[in-house]
Amino acid sequence: MRILQNRYVTILWLALAAIGSILAANAIANLVVTTTSPVVTAERYRAIIWSVGTIAFIILGSVCVGHIGEAIAGWAKLSRAEQRKVFWGVTFAAPWIIGFVIFVLGPALASLYYSLTDYKLGETPNFIGLENYRILLSGEGAHGRRFGQSMYNSFYYALVGVPLQLITALAMAMLVNQALRGMKLFRLIFYIPVILAGGAAILLAWRYMLASNGGFINVTLQALARSFFATDFLYKGFIFGVEGFNGFYSGLARGDQVGPLIYTLPALIGAVLLFLSARGDWENSKRDRAWLVAEVIGMVLIFMLFVRALITTPVDWGMVLLAGSLAIAGILLNGQRGKRGSLRAWQAFTLIGLLGVLLVILLGDTTLSWEQRLPYIIGAAIIGVPVLFSMIGPWSRAKVYALAGGLVIAVAVLFIRDFGAEFGQRTIVPVVKYVFLGTALEPSADLTWLLESFPQSLASALWLWGAVALLLGGLAIANNRWPRAQRWVAIIGAVVFALIAVGSFLDGVRYFQAIDAASQAAGSPTYHFTLFRNATAAWPGENRVPLWLSSELWSKPSLILITMWSSGAMMLIFLAALKGVSQALYEAAKVDGANRTQRFFKITLPMISPALFYNLVIAIIAALQTFDTIYILQTVDTVDSLQSAVFFLYTRTFRQLAIGQGSGVSWILAGVIVLITVIQFRYSKWVHYEV
Amino acid sequence: MTTVTRNTGLPLNEGVVPRKRPGLPRRFLNAIGGWTAIFTYLIMILASLFFLFPLAWMGGTSLKTIQEANGSQLNFLPAIPQWENYAKLFADETFYRSYINSIFVTALVLIGTVTSIAVVAYSFSRLQWKGRNAVFYLMLGTLMLPAQATLVPQYVLFHNLDWIRTFNPITIPGYFAGGAALIFLVRQFMLTIPKELDEAAIVDGANPLQIWWYIIMPLSRPAIATITVFLFVGQWNNLLNPLLYLQKPELYTMPVYIAQQRAITETPIPWQDIMASSVAFVVPVLIVFFLTQRYFIEGISFTGSKEG
Repeated sequence: MRILQNRYVTILWLALAAIGSILAANAIANLVVTTTSPVVTAERYRAIIWSVGTIAFIILGSVCVGHIGEAIAGWAKLSRAEQRKVFWGVTFAAPWIIGFVIFVLGPALASLYYSLTDYKLGETPNFIGLENYRILLSGEGAHGRRFGQSMYNSFYYALVGVPLQLITALAMAMLVNQALRGMKLFRLIFYIPVILAGGAAILLAWRYMLASNGGFINVTLQALARSFFATDFLYKGFIFGVEGFNGFYSGLARGDQVGPLIYTLPALIGAVLLFLSARGDWENSKRDRAWLVAEVIGMVLIFMLFVRALITTPVDWGMVLLAGSLAIAGILLNGQRGKRGSLRAWQAFTLIGLLGVLLVILLGDTTLSWEQRLPYIIGAAIIGVPVLFSMIGPWSRAKVYALAGGLVIAVAVLFIRDFGAEFGQRTIVPVVKYVFLGTALEPSADLTWLLESFPQSLASALWLWGAVALLLGGLAIANNRWPRAQRWVAIIGAVVFALIAVGSFLDGVRYFQAIDAASQAAGSPTYHFTLFRNATAAWPGENRVPLWLSSELWSKPSLILITMWSSGAMMLIFLAALKGVSQALYEAAKVDGANRTQRFFKITLPMISPALFYNLVIAIIAALQTFDTIYILQTVDTVDSLQSAVFFLYTRTFRQLAIGQGSGVSWILAGVIVLITVIQFRYSKWVHYEV
Repeated sequence: MTTVTRNTGLPLNEGVVPRKRPGLPRRFLNAIGGWTAIFTYLIMILASLFFLFPLAWMGGTSLKTIQEANGSQLNFLPAIPQWENYAKLFADETFYRSYINSIFVTALVLIGTVTSIAVVAYSFSRLQWKGRNAVFYLMLGTLMLPAQATLVPQYVLFHNLDWIRTFNPITIPGYFAGGAALIFLVRQFMLTIPKELDEAAIVDGANPLQIWWYIIMPLSRPAIATITVFLFVGQWNNLLNPLLYLQKPELYTMPVYIAQQRAITETPIPWQDIMASSVAFVVPVLIVFFLTQRYFIEGISFTGSKEG
């Protein structure tokens, strides 16, 4: 009997008993199921028997895990009493530990492996390396395109839907927060949609109400619009605006060429940032915030450029230089400002990106020749060597010069590569002219040239980002030595960028007109921003109605309407935060003569910023994960314009059983979610936490 | 925000000798807080209409005839309420089978999940053991991992176990304390129970299991109630998992049954039947919500303030 008292024998017995209880449950369930009918009754019996078996398994297994914990505590030379405590603690925590191993850890590792294979359910998996990720991220083939579309959709929800949702929720919370009678009832009413919105039933009701022809909402809207000329104007303006915006967005999502408009955004961002940096002094908090924005945009942009360099392997090595030059500008700025933490983060981020590119170039794709690899390696060296150098030892002037040298070389190489030929032929003049003044684009009747060759020549001209990087780097260096010169650099830079923004916008309009004219002359329809052109061709007529769920121009607004309707949970979180704001603050502000707007922006908003931040993170993640709503509301025409990443995951994995690619999607999704959370926490300095 | 201090309950003319008792309209106005309040109420009522309308529309349609449901849709209520829509519904075998399936699955999930969460939260809050914090932070870390990361391999796992087209994939994982956020919520609550209670029980010779059952569980009732209602609503509404695993009309739960109806192609669409089944589906959730709304509101405010 002595041997039975041995700890390890106990563990063994318990483990065997636990497994035995599961096997017994399985055997009994199979026996009962085969002798019972109908199917549903049999399956209910099976579920009950399995539940009993699982409970036995968990109890026995938990005690077993508890003993294992105790044994480990024994090896760690804990006292006898401590060992006992560990036994009880682990035994109680064991249901979660066992579940974690079976349902989270094991599957997560398995899916990491599946994502590297072409596994389809019922077939043997073949190892195919990063192929799944490449297809998904580069938008290759039908599946890659659909995944890209789902990412565009999520971006739309984050950009348009989440702010609208936050505003609705905050407005509701502020209404309910007033000290009036009956507010508890209204709070209840505002919250009801949340518990319903998760369910299929109410979504079907929405589908019914949103029917474009004779649906309740459209009938009501039309009746309201016809009652008064101003409401009629608003109604038509709403239709016009939504269709125009969504038409443009769906063109973008489809990859239609925007022509010179590609400059407008970087130029505008550059102009605003430079303008802000020219005002005030370095200690000014407003400017600090401006740099924060610059950092976020920069980080995201660099990340995207690196990813492009990673997935379009032999196509464009310029991306490495672009991403790298922006990263160097970031390092310089943070180094000069003496922000050590940010500096280290930027350096690490840059090196990881470069390492990723090099790994893929050297090991990932064996079909590449050394000639194709060389530009990547040289590019990585131009960026990587100064960055590495800047990481050793304290920040010094030598490091500034090294980094600045790398930055200048990178941008110069890019510039020569893209404009060297034109420079030789002295044709750079039209390029400069068109960038600044929007006059160089000669209307051409050649549709192919307009749609293919011309955008190609522009795409490489993303060197504008390089110019932004160069200016930021220059500012960083000027900061400590010549403060006055720095201000002038900033002002001149802002003016130049503003000119580029205006010029490229005007040229973009001309570009669209040229395509229009050319396609009309050729008598063939173009598919260039078709939806946008149709939507904005004329002011909506008398009988136009919002098409809601039956058109891809309206499907996303419909979804956003429903999320706004069910933003009661956010309201409750805002409400809890609002109740926590001390009335004394408002009283003091009133005494100082602050008006309502000032009190809202200077007291309420900063004081509830933790709740705002929490809601923001949750809402953006939820936008990526929407499933039920899309499943119920989609139609054949709108499914592509509605689908979220999770919905794509569902169709790819469970309709087409492509487990390998589905796993790839889920890991990309997990990566994006973690990235969003990290970025948001890293840049949540505007959040005011009361200590 | 702006009217917080208006309604202090003090008469505005305090200290002045009242001349005459104001008339009824004036007294009514004062009682509800003046013109600003009336304006606020107006906005609130309009907003309430927006929030409640889909529900009301659902109820109204469920009593219409098929002609009314597909006709001019500004009629909110039917001319004659068609109660037999509901009679017809409960005579339909596929409907009540799905309904009972839903109740069955929800009950099993609730029992398993709530009990196991209470056990695990107890270990993370009341028991002192070396390594507890490491395990606890590991658990919080799983909050970062989106459920979708394990959705696909779990499907493969259940496929290999031959569990597809059974209730097991939905009911069994619950027994393993699923839901880190809920464990966290209960743990935070259990931390607020005075330590002396456990100590007294230990002196009396109770073991941790007895302490859990006789002391902690009765005192944790509000937290347990909160997670129960959360889980109930979540499970009752859950569409994705039943859709993935049940794959057989006999096993459908209500969300899947209702979701199937969106694809009905017959014309005219029998909206009144669809809405009647929707009403039947929504009613339990609404009842539970009205009975337990305190827990909902506290629970959500709590998670928001603790995690944010």
